Amino acid sequence: MNFEFSPDERAFAEEVRGFLRAHPPETFPIDGMDAGYGSGAHSRPFLRALADQGWLSLTWPRAFGGQERPLTYKLLLFEELAAAAAPFGPLAGCDQTAEGIIRYGSEHLRREVLPRIARGDATFWQGFSEPEAGSDLLSLKTEAARHGDQYVIRGHKIWSSHAGISSYGLVLARTGPSARRSQGLSMFVVDNATPGMDIRPIRSLTGEVYHYEVFLDDVRVPVACLLGKEGEGFTQLLRGLDTDRFWGRFYKAPMLRRVLDELVRHANETTRNGVPLARDTAIRRRLASLATEIEAVRLLFYRIGWMLQEGLPTPYETALCKVMADELGQAVAAFGMEMLGLYAPLTQDSRSAKLRGSIQHLYQTSMGQTIAGGTSEVLRSTVATRGLGLPSEPRARD
Amino acid sequence: MDFRFTDAQTLLVNTAREFLRHRCPPAVLEDSVASERGFSAELWKEISVLGWPGLLIPAEYGGSDGTIVDVALLVEEMGRACFPSPYVPSAVVATSLLVAAGSPAQRERLLPAMVRGDRLCVLALTEESASIDPQAVRLKGEPGGRLSGRKLFVNDAHVADDLIVVTRGAAGPNLFLLETQRAGVAVALMETIAGEKPCEVSFAGVETRPDDLLGTAGQGWDLLHPALQAGALARTAEMVGCAQHILELCVEHAKARRQFGRPLGSFQAIQHSCADLLRNVEGARYLLYRAAWKMQESREATADVAMAKAYAGQACQAVARRAHQLLGAISFCEEHPLHLFHKRILAASLDFGDPAHHLETVATAIGLQ
Repeated sequence: MNFEFSPDERAFAEEVRGFLRAHPPETFPIDGMDAGYGSGAHSRPFLRALADQGWLSLTWPRAFGGQERPLTYKLLLFEELAAAAAPFGPLAGCDQTAEGIIRYGSEHLRREVLPRIARGDATFWQGFSEPEAGSDLLSLKTEAARHGDQYVIRGHKIWSSHAGISSYGLVLARTGPSARRSQGLSMFVVDNATPGMDIRPIRSLTGEVYHYEVFLDDVRVPVACLLGKEGEGFTQLLRGLDTDRFWGRFYKAPMLRRVLDELVRHANETTRNGVPLARDTAIRRRLASLATEIEAVRLLFYRIGWMLQEGLPTPYETALCKVMADELGQAVAAFGMEMLGLYAPLTQDSRSAKLRGSIQHLYQTSMGQTIAGGTSEVLRSTVATRGLGLPSEPRARD
Repeated sequence: MDFRFTDAQTLLVNTAREFLRHRCPPAVLEDSVASERGFSAELWKEISVLGWPGLLIPAEYGGSDGTIVDVALLVEEMGRACFPSPYVPSAVVATSLLVAAGSPAQRERLLPAMVRGDRLCVLALTEESASIDPQAVRLKGEPGGRLSGRKLFVNDAHVADDLIVVTRGAAGPNLFLLETQRAGVAVALMETIAGEKPCEVSFAGVETRPDDLLGTAGQGWDLLHPALQAGALARTAEMVGCAQHILELCVEHAKARRQFGRPLGSFQAIQHSCADLLRNVEGARYLLYRAAWKMQESREATADVAMAKAYAGQACQAVARRAHQLLGAISFCEEHPLHLFHKRILAASLDFGDPAHHLETVATAIGLQ
């Protein structure tokens, strides 16, 4: 056992901190909403600044222009960015797409898209969910039909984060009829500028736009935009979702710790009825308990990182950690609201707001997180069946 | 970062699991808990042959020079079997104190015999306040003086040969190593639901000679702090092991038991409860391992131990309570082992600092003024 990063790894973390001191995150313009996952807002300029450091291709094979650094470096990069409240919202999506293209992509995708990712020029949305296909994703209806050297895609995707400000969508569509619903699915990398795409914003409960719905009306893409082979879509999806649950949630622990530290500072500096909040036993105990849970989640994520690096299977671990991280995020935000009392609902723009109005934003966005990327209900069943070997619930179809 | 056990640790864990599965089945557990002694003397001798009580003792006294991580892994297995024994009080806490501060004569007298399983020593710290804070000690005692008063919640004092008694001294806390047989010492069991053997130890003018002193006069707290951490950590490991076993009982039941024509475990309500049990066990386990590793590496581990003990105390109790619901009416019966595991977790969560105590340590560590 060893719970410490190596000297080289620590030096890299220091390098990231040095970069953040030289490029203060708050000085970068924001182009898309912070959805509270810990990766901050969407900022193309910040993404490019990361690209300039070579950090968008940190772990890619050298043959693809990467640095072939071990996975731990990516983990540390994400952790330091989250701890500093940096706006790296699109990073996990870029990283995940790059991994998919390196693993499955055509020559065209490798040549055209990978360099754009490395430069911080390309960001991605996921076209998985549909109006009638949420948790029951396999009931999706979007179809892609092959016509010569093109696929013609027709369908309706929804809940696609940042789709309107991204470069490409990863669109999951049916390419053929099949006996099983998990077969006959394929994944496409679709350029946002392709004719036939209608990308419409959905205003979220915070008043900002995070999600979009995308209408694909006979969108024609070259065959080379198919990721891997026809029918591989489901396998790629599972792999992608699992990666997403890890890389899309890993930074939640450092982010929550940063929020907790702010709540601690607030408790130390605020007096209510003549007594500092920090001396209130209920507040002390609750903050200490949340700090403890944050550490528990952080360690479980570290363990998954180690397992991935060692090439060990992680059949249920990411599902379990995602549930923990998202529910803990809700608990931290809800307690923050409780601590702030009447100040809690004040917006970022209110002159009287405490903690820059950040807690209400975290609180509002936290409501979506136990839904996105697999609901806590679906994931608890995953943990029970794949982690504990309980029998699956009988289903009408599969 | 590396989550792997060493080969020696894997061997220790596998040996312990096999041994306890064969030698400490539920029937043995029930008999032990019902007995006045509280554990099987025969099994204690057997685990001494395996080297367990000497795990933290240096090789020069016959021990195996193990680390606190080894202890955590071993005690986790003990928890998995709900193994009743004075292991934590004697082989972890008192042993840590003797190894850290015992005079050559004290070590020579106790440690080899403790390795062989022939001698037990326990720490007498807590009093009426039920607190483990140094300022809570009211019992006065100086070298060359006499002790009058009592200690409470001294686990396994009724079978101990020696006591390490914490007293309030003019220059700070003093520790005295006294035989239980010394004139004026009386031990009485405190009745508890928990299957443990906490004792009231009374002192009626008990002599404390200068060579009874353990370590330096007035410096007792510096010695106690790491020993109490070791105790907290070991009891955390025990809770994790108990909760792991409870989880296994629930999963086994959910697979085997059929209602409405299908296995219970195929109902989402049951699946989700089981997933939460796994969450609690795994969350507690890695906080435990990191705290143990930091202690082993002599890093500052106060907050890590506090987090591990507080989290396990709450999470493992929640596992036990949820398990009664999952297992249904049979778990309400004395003949079902769940209540023994549940009560062990309860006792362990209170020993060496309850969750509230440890959360206060965490509160300070995260910067609350």
